[in-house]
Amino acid sequence: MVECDFPECTTFGAVIRFGIELEKGTAAIYEELGNDPRLAKGQETFKMLGAAHKKRGTLLEDTRREKLNEMILEPIQEMRGQKYIIDTKVPPGMDLKAAAKFASMAEGRSSGFYLDASSVAKMLLAEAARIMERLGKENLSNKAKLEAL
Amino acid sequence: MALLTEVKKDWGTLKNYVNGEWIDSDSGKVIDIENPSTGATVGKVPMSTREETKAAIDAAHEAWWAWRETPPITRARLMFKLKELMEQHFEDVARIMVQEQGKTIDEARGETRRTIENVEVAAGVPSLMMGYNLEDGAAQGIDEDAVISPLGVFAAICPFNFPAMIPYWFWPYAVASGNTYILKPSSQVPITQNYLTKLVEEAGFPPGVLNLVNGSHEVSDTLMEHPKVKGISFVGSTPVAKYIYKHSAENGKRVQAQGGAKNSLVVMPDAVLDRTVPNMLASYYGCAGQRCLAGSNLIAVGDIADPLLKRWMEASKKMKMGYGMDESVNMGPVISAKAKKKVLELIDSAEKEGAKIILDGRNAKVPGYENGHFVGPTVIDQVTPDMRVAKEEIFGPVVQYMRMNSMDEALDFIDSSPFGNAASIYTSSGKSAREFRYRCQCGNIGINVGIVAAMAYFPFAGYKDSFFGDLHGQGQDAIKFFTDRKVVITRWF
Repeated sequence: MVECDFPECTTFGAVIRFGIELEKGTAAIYEELGNDPRLAKGQETFKMLGAAHKKRGTLLEDTRREKLNEMILEPIQEMRGQKYIIDTKVPPGMDLKAAAKFASMAEGRSSGFYLDASSVAKMLLAEAARIMERLGKENLSNKAKLEAL
Repeated sequence: MALLTEVKKDWGTLKNYVNGEWIDSDSGKVIDIENPSTGATVGKVPMSTREETKAAIDAAHEAWWAWRETPPITRARLMFKLKELMEQHFEDVARIMVQEQGKTIDEARGETRRTIENVEVAAGVPSLMMGYNLEDGAAQGIDEDAVISPLGVFAAICPFNFPAMIPYWFWPYAVASGNTYILKPSSQVPITQNYLTKLVEEAGFPPGVLNLVNGSHEVSDTLMEHPKVKGISFVGSTPVAKYIYKHSAENGKRVQAQGGAKNSLVVMPDAVLDRTVPNMLASYYGCAGQRCLAGSNLIAVGDIADPLLKRWMEASKKMKMGYGMDESVNMGPVISAKAKKKVLELIDSAEKEGAKIILDGRNAKVPGYENGHFVGPTVIDQVTPDMRVAKEEIFGPVVQYMRMNSMDEALDFIDSSPFGNAASIYTSSGKSAREFRYRCQCGNIGINVGIVAAMAYFPFAGYKDSFFGDLHGQGQDAIKFFTDRKVVITRWF
């Protein structure tokens, strides 16, 4: 399990940080599932998704560093982070179906976060909004991959 | 949530960087550097002497000719190296600013990005400082060239509000165009430049090309008076800018001196309030109102006054104050107890003159940060043009709410101010926007933009008592300030 430190989403930086924490948490879930010998059939998918989430974390770091400038420091009041927090404590002894369902829940929450964040970011920065939207859609496609397991 | 960690808790006593070496000041005088959010001392800054400043000027002068002979493309490559190092240390730079200046981490990251952008633009110096020529320009067979040449040693005297960015409005352009440089950071926030100068050293700039001298008046006066210094760049308050301009010019120097501001944001009846209010919040409360470009007077035109005020109050009350290392914080403290006292004094004056304090941040407390210099978002209603608070720079998160009948009335009021730094209009009418930008006598104009912060390739402008000089910081203006045009007329027999 990885400890995530989710901030309140009251600033642009906090929204991105929230995303970074989501990626960290989701990657950790996949790492644990990917290393569980009982889930051998799903191992490839879990490992692939785990790597993808690590990459997404880096993309968000770069977004925060490169897209944030003084012009877009407006406070954000529309998002309630509580709604999107994921559970990173993987229950022991799950079969493949339960494991896929567990990961799928994290993907679903993440998707909700990114799609909502995208519409908030649209007001501030179209480029960031496009990235958020892409991440949200990727979550949905990941969900579909998990459901196919 | 957990706070981001500070790069270091205690920075010790800072050193000067002269001729490629980090050296202690012998002055024996140091002052504490305070974290304005916590009140903790995070380091000490020496008050360097005249002799120490002269040694830095001599080092810069000694280094100049070899640096001037270094091809512009080589100088540009060092700028690229510096940019890379700044990217690597991006987060550290931002966190140091939060620690010593009090701004939020988002603001500090934004400032770091703006700082790097100046290095990126200065790296274009081979194109930026190209001259021009004309064959047969003087007569048949006699060609005429204008060559852009560096001048020697320049210096900057810097303010506290943007510890990283403002020195970078100047020195990268000066150095890239072949001059050498002396930086005097604000003694309230010297750690950021100390840290960045270590990156300059690591990038491989030759000794003496960039020097850093910590201190106060003695350092500034020496820089302004020394015959080997060719020009001075300054950002600060208007009275000091006037002094710097006069004193430096008396000593034969080029000067660019950015002064104070009293910026008005005008909201027209056809403004899109959903977008206007959040955008203006960043202008009035960002950096706790300590920006040269911060909104100060909020002028509501016509019948939008009441609905705007209602929305404004709702949004202002939601601003979260605290230590900027908490990423969810919207606003940090002002820089010092002295600065806070001045802000409170101006709020008091408004009350005495008949205005109404409808949101009062004077007694703001942030749990766990009782020693911080916090002033909460403050809204003063029924402010009239004759009140002190409508005229004087406040440099705090305070909104002076004014009601006017027309854009003409707003423009007349803005025109009557001795300051001319920035003004903005919020409207959905192209006609109103065009008229505003055409008539308004301020150097930085915003159309539905509350912080008119010029990008690195544009000058940071300013009119009237907000700027003394002619060429501004950043971009082409900076290159022109740090160079001169040498005319060469050539005939071959």
